[in-house]
Parts: sequence; structure tokens; C-alpha cells
Amino acid sequence: MDKMTMNVSTTAVHIDGLSRRYGATRALDAVDLALDRGITGLLGPNGAGKTTLLSILATVNEPDAGRVSVLGLDPKDAAERLEIRRRLGYLPQELGYHRHFTVAAFLDYVAILKEITDRRRRAGEIARVLAAIGLEDRARTRIRALSGGMRQRLGIAQALLGQPELLILDEPTAGLDPVQRLRFRELLSDLPGDPVIVLSTHQADDIAAICPTVVVLLQGRVQFAGTPSELAATASGHVWAANERGPGAHLSWRSSDGRWRHVGGQPPAGADVVPPTVEDSYLLLSHAAGA
Amino acid sequence: MTRTVLGLARAEASLLVRSVLALAGLLAAGLVTWFGIHPVEPLWWHAAWQIGFGQLVLGLAVLVAAQLAAGRARRDGMAGLYASFPATAGIRTLGQLAGIAGAIPASLLLIGAAAVSVHLLGVVGTPSVTVLAGGLLLVIAAGAAGIAIGTRFPHPMAGVLGALALLLSSGTTHLVSGGGIWLVPWEGLQDDLGFLPGPLAGYPPAGAHGAELAGLAVLAGAAALAITVRSARARAGLATAGVLAVTLICLAGAVQLRPVPNLNRLVTDSANPASAQRCTTSSGVRYCLYPGFGSVLPSLEAAVHGVLARVPARLDRPLTVSQVGLTSLDATLTHGYPKRQVSRWNAELRRAPAIASPESAIYFPIWAWPAFGGPLADAHFNLALATADWAVRIPLVTIASSQSGQPSQPCVPVNQAREAIALWLAILAARPPAGELQAGVPAGNGFTAAVVDHKVIPTWSYPGQGAGQVDQIGFSPPQNTEAGYLLARAMTTLPEPKVARVLAAGWVTWLNWHTTDAQLAAALGIKMPGVPRPPLLGTGPIGNGPENPVCT
Repeated sequence: MDKMTMNVSTTAVHIDGLSRRYGATRALDAVDLALDRGITGLLGPNGAGKTTLLSILATVNEPDAGRVSVLGLDPKDAAERLEIRRRLGYLPQELGYHRHFTVAAFLDYVAILKEITDRRRRAGEIARVLAAIGLEDRARTRIRALSGGMRQRLGIAQALLGQPELLILDEPTAGLDPVQRLRFRELLSDLPGDPVIVLSTHQADDIAAICPTVVVLLQGRVQFAGTPSELAATASGHVWAANERGPGAHLSWRSSDGRWRHVGGQPPAGADVVPPTVEDSYLLLSHAAGA
Repeated sequence: MTRTVLGLARAEASLLVRSVLALAGLLAAGLVTWFGIHPVEPLWWHAAWQIGFGQLVLGLAVLVAAQLAAGRARRDGMAGLYASFPATAGIRTLGQLAGIAGAIPASLLLIGAAAVSVHLLGVVGTPSVTVLAGGLLLVIAAGAAGIAIGTRFPHPMAGVLGALALLLSSGTTHLVSGGGIWLVPWEGLQDDLGFLPGPLAGYPPAGAHGAELAGLAVLAGAAALAITVRSARARAGLATAGVLAVTLICLAGAVQLRPVPNLNRLVTDSANPASAQRCTTSSGVRYCLYPGFGSVLPSLEAAVHGVLARVPARLDRPLTVSQVGLTSLDATLTHGYPKRQVSRWNAELRRAPAIASPESAIYFPIWAWPAFGGPLADAHFNLALATADWAVRIPLVTIASSQSGQPSQPCVPVNQAREAIALWLAILAARPPAGELQAGVPAGNGFTAAVVDHKVIPTWSYPGQGAGQVDQIGFSPPQNTEAGYLLARAMTTLPEPKVARVLAAGWVTWLNWHTTDAQLAAALGIKMPGVPRPPLLGTGPIGNGPENPVCT
């Protein structure tokens, strides 16, 4: 399942044999992938290579081998890389902040770096993204005075500046409370212009809720690429509910209804097969890959 | 690209203008400039460089602020995000370099405020725009250096160390003579310039200094861009700019290392002041000043006349009050001249009236007549006291013996009525604060004393002593006694007409150095104030040490 090819006519990101090592660690291992417009969720445990892959797509990192095409442009070419950056919105995984800046000043500075040089347009963009993330009343607040969740929303806001055609978000929902996560889903769903959105997360329910496409990355390799329902289907017949814990299952936990849920392996006697979720399938894939 | 650079420059300039560091630097620079210009006589050929020294303080703050700005992205963990923007690191650096323009209003404000202050102080001479512009260029060069440092070293300490390096490089004490001139010429010259009776034509070479600073700014900017720019073509351009900047710096430095021109004329004007000074006579006193210094004449007259108007006898000998220019040449001024020539000039300066016959007139150096405040009050009192000493015939100076050639001990008017009279005249003429006068009396266990005829004599020195006096080797002004001061203070409590009557009745007697304090006190009908015995000393004579002569 290494090579997953989608409809070529709508492919926005094409990755072919992409590899990246950090010393002895292989972060990406001959990754092949094609991504459509719309939202793609990247699922994987820590160290699976998600951040490396996203940073390469964001042109801030370079692969050791392989080819990447983003919006039909080659990041290796200086002029095309610049064009990608002009269409890009990027939220790194661990974003620092100029803590002494105000929210508005920070966004203004980032907008300039995004070549939004017209003052009026910049002011309009800042107002728009602040409203989108619900921080419009914090424009004059210094960043150091914001909560962790607010800072994460500010990070999302800076990525949205300029209405990017390609939005790369590395764990955007980390630190957000449930309401903010729902608002984030709403925000992505409402983005105009059918942009390419690639987001990484540990939250399988986020993927299931908003991503038409999901990619599971394990140990630097693509283990699955398809729709969430396809991903869930990979675990069909491997998820059970029972009244007792079964020692033969790969993973077991007690559900909110009091029954034991078993994923993979051998079910206990009397277990009922239940419909799998995206999370079940992801756990099954992770276990199979030894991650 | 240009619009992005301009946008970044505006943002960075705005941040710099509002930074606490820049504001603190502006405040500190203002204070340094003020304390540099107000205690000494305001002379444009000196003050302009003092203002430049104030700009160095602002430059230090701008350097640190610029370093913080340039290292901001890496220090705050935002390098990854910044790398994803279409504005490259080179464009960001260019914007930050252009953003140094934010320091220009602060620099101009400082220069403008200092210029207005100096003007209000009654400055002598005319300002040099080139010299003042050098201060502005210094701030810009410091900012560019800060960006170069911050681009490579984002840690905040790097900026502090850079500022420290700039500060240390501005000193001359740790560098060979000439090195200091190369780096920051005003530091080595500013003291000398204050002694000059006028500007030295073409020196210091302000244009070359400005070119040097501009070269340093370009070099720092090119270094900053070379760190962030990747294009081979751009790097080649930066290398060319760097080479041109170094060439400019070297050429400008070479011009600044040239010997001071017209030094011969300066020595002549100082050694033979009559050839340059203009003298006027007022109330029987001759005042000789260098051209352009006429504005200080009323202030001089006030101090001198305040004393002479209270002297009960007419002047029986002429009194001259004269300005003194250079009394010696130091290594900075004589840089590049042969030692033999310097020796000839110094010999010529030693023949100047202020050095060769200092007892013939009251001399005061050029820098020593400030515009206002405590230093001016001190200068007034010292001139008044010198006039009073002259009026009561206390020797103005003690000449070194020709055998030893060593600096002489000042003479002490021990138990002489005329000492108290001189102090009383000076106090009434200059009206210094009573607290300052009293501060000359040692308190607690501390005491100052002179040794006269194997006896310890407690002394009194005006705290502002030295202001307005020529600092020369080989002779000293008289040393006042505590007893003389205490008697003078007691005299000030009496009605002035009463004291004047007593003095007029026996003026010739009072001028006799054998007439004692006690006789004066008795004539005035007051008790001679007691002088506390210095602690830790017995009553007998002390051993062989340097003794002070009695003023006769």
C-alpha cells in the first residue's frame, strides 16, 4: 500500500519516492503520495515522519531523495519555491511567538512577510482572520498575556493570512478545548476557494469529522491513504464487544457502556463483532506496523 | 520585493522607535550630552564633538535593540515559520537594515536639543554640520553592526557584548596613541579641543570621520546580508560592497591619522596670547580674551568688581585678568610630528606669561567659564578669591625653586589678618552657598592640614577649588587655613559697613603679613573662633616632611 494514486486531474500535491534521514534515523522512507484539493488528514504516532513531511511540503525542509510537486510547482527551483510560498499558509508544530508583540502587530508583521504590502488590505486581512478564530477582541493584547489555546488560534490565524491556496497545519488542534476544536472544524469547512489543506493530528475523531482523505504514516512509510470510511473498513471483523476482557486481543478497554471493546487478535468467547471506527483501524494499523 | 522591504522597514522602525532600549538610550544619551556640555565653557568646536559622544550612548542602545530585532526569529523559535514566507531571510535583513531609520529621529532630536541647549548657554563659535552629522552616522553604523551581530548570533548577550566592544573601542587609554583616533577620534580629542582658543581649521577631519562611519555602516550591512543571502550573484555584489567599504574606511582613517595642521599657529597663539587676544580695561582692570569670548566679560567683571568695590584703597598697581590657551601639548595633538619639534613647541609654551610669570596676572583657562550653575558659581568664587588675594597682597602663586624644579608646596597665610579679609571680600562678592563654604571644613575624624614651621596647621579648601584656575606644574595658589576661614565667616555675620570702617581705618596695617587674626578680631570686637585640634596628633613639633612656606 505504498503507492496511493488519486484522480490525477485534481491532484494538487504529488510526492514520489520521498526520503529524509536525520543521522541514523529514517524520518521518511520512499514515500509516494498524491493529494487532492480539500482536507487531507495525516495520522500517525510521534516520530512517524508527519512533521518532516509537512515541513518539506512547506518548503522549509529538503528531502534527501525523491520528488515533490506542490500545486504543480517544484520546490527545488528557486522561482517555483517562491511561488509555492506565496500561496502557502503554514503552522509549524511547535511555533514560538514574539511574546512582546501585540496580536495585531504580530499578524501585521507576518502579513508583510507574506508580501501583503498594501496597508488597507493588510488591515482587512488581520480583521478577517481574527474574526475567524474568535480573537477580534484581543488585537491589542500582548501575546505573552494569551493562554496556550489562544496562542494556538493565533498560529492558525497567521497561517490563514492571504487566503492561501495551500494550508499546511501541523497539529493545529493541540491545546484547543472541545468548543475551540469544533470551531476549528467549522473554520476549515468554511474556507473559500477550495484550498489544499494538509493537517496532522493525533485526534482520529478530528480526521473522521472533517477530512475526506486520510493518510496514515507509520515509521516513515505510508500505511494507508483513502477516505475515513475506507480506513475504518480495514478493521471490519476485527473489532468486538464483550462482557469480559479477552487476553487474546491486541488492545482492550472498557467502554462507556461497561462492555469491553477488543481490537485485533483473538476475541473472547461470546464477543459480538461491532462496526469499527477510524480510531480502531488506526490502532490496528499501528499494531500491525509495530509502532 | 521593494514594497516588502519598505513594509518591513516601516515595521522595524516603528518597533525600534517604541523600544524601551532605544528610549532608555535616548535618555542616557541626553544626560551624557548634558553633563558633557554644561559644566564647561560652551565652545562649538568642542561641544559638537561632545554631542557626538552622546550619540555614542544612543548608538550603544540602538546596537543592542537592532541585535535583538535581527535575532528575534531564531530566538523566539520562529525560524521554521519565517522560512516558509515568500520574504526571504535576505529581504528580512534588508528590511531590518532599512528599519534603522527609526533611530534617525531620536538622533536628530538629541542633536537638535543639544544644539539648542548649547545656543542658550551662550556658545562661542559656530556649529559644524559635518561634525554633528557624524553623530547621526555613528548611530546608523551601530545599528547596522547590531543587525550583523544578531543575524549570526541571536542570543541577547551577543548584543550586549557588541555594545561593550563598541564602548571599549571608543576609549584611547588601552590603545596605542593614534589607534584611538582611528576608531573614534572625538574621544581622544574632545578634552584637547576644549582648551583651544578657536576651531582648528580642518581638524578634526569631520568629513573623513563621517566617511569612516559610513564605511563601517556599509560594511556591517554587507556582513549582515552575506549571512542571509544565498544567491551567488548577490553575494558577489556584497563582497564588492565590503571591499569598497573597507577601502573607504582605510582611506578615511589615513586622513584622520594625518598630523594636526596649523599646530604651529596654535602654539604661537597660546604662547604669545598678546598676538591673538583682545584686551579691554574696565574699572582699572585689564581683561584679555581670545576673539569670540567677549560674552564672558560681564561675568568676569562682576566677580572682580565685586571684590575691588569693597577694597577701601585705590588700586596702586595694574591688575590683569587673562585667558589661557594651551599650556602643553599632549600625544594626541602632536601625533605625527617629530619629537624635536614637539619639544620646541613645549618650550615655547613654557615661555607663555601664564607659565613664565604667573604672579603677574590672574589667569583662567578657556574651558573654565561655564554658562551657569554650580560650576559657574565656583568659577566666580575662585576668581573673586584670586582678586581678593591680589588686593590684600597675598601671593597669587608660589613659584618652585629653580634648584629643585619640583612642584612647590603652596604658601600658607598662617595667622595673617589679610587672609580672613580676602576670604571675607570674596564671600561678599561671589556669595557662594554657605553650605558649600562650610563643606571646606573637615568634619568628624577627617582633617586636612599643612605643615608650617614643624607645626600642623588645619586648612580650609573651597569644595569648588580648581574651577576656573590654570592647572600648571611648578607653582600653586595659596592654601587657606581653617582659622582664616572661620574668622572670615564670623566677619560676614557683622554689618558690612562696620567691617568696612575697621578695614579702612588701618588698611596698610591689615595688609602687613605680620598682622594677626587675633588683632583683626579684636578690632572688629569679636572673639577669635577656636580651631579644633586635629585628632591623633600631639602638641609637639612633627618630623621631617615637606613643609609649606609662609605667605609673605
